[in-house]
Amino acid sequence: MSKVFIYPSTSLILSDMVARFGHEPLGAAIKIRERIQTPGFDSPPLQMTPEDPKKGLKYAAVEVPAGVRGRMAIFGPLIEEAEAAVIVNDSDLAFGCMGCARTDELVKFMIRQRKDIPILEIVYPSNEDEGLAFVDSIKNFLDGLSAKEVPK
Amino acid sequence: MNDADQKVRVAQLSCGPEHSGVQKEIDEAAAAVNAEMFFPDVTLKDVKKAYKEFGLEARSADLKLAIARAKALVDGSVEADAVFIATCFRCSEAAIVRNELRRYIHNNSTLPVVSYSFTERTTSGTLLTRMEALTTIAKRRALLAREKQVGITLGIDSGSATTKAVVMKDNEIVGTGWTPTTEVLKSADIVVNDALTMAGLKMSDIQAIGTTGYGRYLIGDKMKADIIQEELTVNSKGAVYLADRQHGEATVIDIGGMDNKAISVQDGIPGTFTMGGICAGASGRFLEMTSKRLGVDITELGPLAMKGLSKEVPMNSYCIVFGTQSLVNALAEGHSKENVAAAACRSVAEQVFEQQLQEVDIKEPVIMVGGTSLIAGLVNEMGRLLQTEVVVPPYSQYIGSVGSALLASGFIDEKKKGE
Amino acid sequence: MPKEYSPEFVGTVTKYVFVESPDITPQHLSIRAYEISQGVMIKETCFGLQITGMPEDVGKVIAAVREMDPYHILVKDRGFPPGDKRRCRANLGGARPGYFGHEFEMGLLRHISKGLKAMEKGVKPDEKSVNAIIYHDKPLLDTQRLEEIAVSKSREAGTDAANSRTTE
Repeated sequence: MSKVFIYPSTSLILSDMVARFGHEPLGAAIKIRERIQTPGFDSPPLQMTPEDPKKGLKYAAVEVPAGVRGRMAIFGPLIEEAEAAVIVNDSDLAFGCMGCARTDELVKFMIRQRKDIPILEIVYPSNEDEGLAFVDSIKNFLDGLSAKEVPK
Repeated sequence: MNDADQKVRVAQLSCGPEHSGVQKEIDEAAAAVNAEMFFPDVTLKDVKKAYKEFGLEARSADLKLAIARAKALVDGSVEADAVFIATCFRCSEAAIVRNELRRYIHNNSTLPVVSYSFTERTTSGTLLTRMEALTTIAKRRALLAREKQVGITLGIDSGSATTKAVVMKDNEIVGTGWTPTTEVLKSADIVVNDALTMAGLKMSDIQAIGTTGYGRYLIGDKMKADIIQEELTVNSKGAVYLADRQHGEATVIDIGGMDNKAISVQDGIPGTFTMGGICAGASGRFLEMTSKRLGVDITELGPLAMKGLSKEVPMNSYCIVFGTQSLVNALAEGHSKENVAAAACRSVAEQVFEQQLQEVDIKEPVIMVGGTSLIAGLVNEMGRLLQTEVVVPPYSQYIGSVGSALLASGFIDEKKKGE
Repeated sequence: MPKEYSPEFVGTVTKYVFVESPDITPQHLSIRAYEISQGVMIKETCFGLQITGMPEDVGKVIAAVREMDPYHILVKDRGFPPGDKRRCRANLGGARPGYFGHEFEMGLLRHISKGLKAMEKGVKPDEKSVNAIIYHDKPLLDTQRLEEIAVSKSREAGTDAANSRTTE
């Protein structure tokens, strides 16, 4: 079982596909859950505090807006942890954690910089036939990860 | 009393505050003035449609959502009392959307709007005055509609640099007091006594009291003020009253000791406003330092600057330290005091212009108020930048006190009824 | 002083279960989920369920629910427990931002469901569709080819014009 970073990281479809085909999806919810279940100072709604944009300095310089750095405090560790990634590139309507285009650009760049992990880059299907191609390509990609794991 | 019971509903249009850890600060600032933030309800279909209709190609989905929410407010499909637009400081995409949404709402609805760009360091304290002004404009329009002062009232403005008081009687200013702010209450006592003495009145003659400025709560509580109000609405009211521009559009600029206010006013009521002062280079403090360095009294700085040519000396810094460096260098290079004074005035005017006036639509007349409006060189440079003749009303340095005294007179009748 | 925060449901996971099916409603799902609930919290929603509990227990319930209609039931992690005030529409005035993303993907589920079903039957995707979903830049037309097209089109136009003149 591999840890697969999903982009958009809030995607229902990708989260389901990765889990359905036997792997662990790494999405924004995992890191939000961590914050929601950790005691500290009250900072609703996400339990993200001004410390998060500071943590984000690891991924983006201080002149980068706080919202980008805060989001990077969520995505950065997930990308570092990932053993594979699936990117859906035409996800223009993903909001919240994925709602900032500048962060999204940086996230994709950081994934692509991970030369050591396999990455699948696709777009959303627009009809049934493409639906099959979409599901099939994700399954093949994920099966490939399992095949690599066997010799371990 | 009904107004006080019912929470003011402030619609939030934003990108980034949750992930910057400042949403809580926004909520707390709203709660402190009996308001609550909410997100206008729209559907994905609305987002797609509104975004297309609005025509601004933002790539960030949360900004698209903000556009859809703004349209829902303007269309009236979602009701609100006021609008708060907040995006990340230093995000150019968001700055464009923020400005266009502010303009769109201001031009197409009667909702008061404030826009703000936050960092992770933004606190509820920073937002409080803005939120208070927003709720006042939304819920106390009747109070702000007052155009004449009646009876005998006292207004106190406790600013970061100076404390001012004004006694008004039958729509006339009959007494004033002014002193640098040291201890908040002590400074207030001094100016109140001075104003009363000048008016030839006693404290017992005062029928209602209003306070504003940073020390407004402390002084307001002690003196049992009838109205304790932030300076954005009070100064707008005071400015149009003193400049006799109570009807129609106006822009009020107040360059203060600690922060600056730029307010776009319609019929005496603020429509959009900004309040800021990230750096002291763009404040009255810098001019105070300049006059000290030039060895002249602050009251002489304006006339001195009027004799100089600002373009002769390079000086334009948002930072008081860098600004002072330019000042020292200019003097060392042999520039005249007059030119240096003019350059300092231009530097402050340019900073206010670049940092704040971009966030409100400048509509004539432009009224400058506050202590710095007495520095003729500064008014001159601001007028040159805005390419308009800036109006400085009489008593402009007492703007907060006059606004407070004017608004307080609305409480005289209420008190009589209560007796 | 900042207020202290004491989390609830520590150690649990919450999963969204979305159903987009002609045969199965959220109510059907919740009945089945309750039968095998094993102490997990189940909340029925307009799109399906939210299931909260210890990871293994939730996993078992999810597996059983998925069996009801594997092609039309999709599952995703959620950071918050169900009904959390911080994300609730009743408190926020409008939907939380993530909701719109789900709304967008729900519109695509019919393609995904059909794809899953066809794949199960051993159908292979056609080349055109595979090409369509693989991410690549839109290929630009070769400039030489563009010139050829332009020349041939202008010739056609010239011929047509000549013809129309002769017929006059």
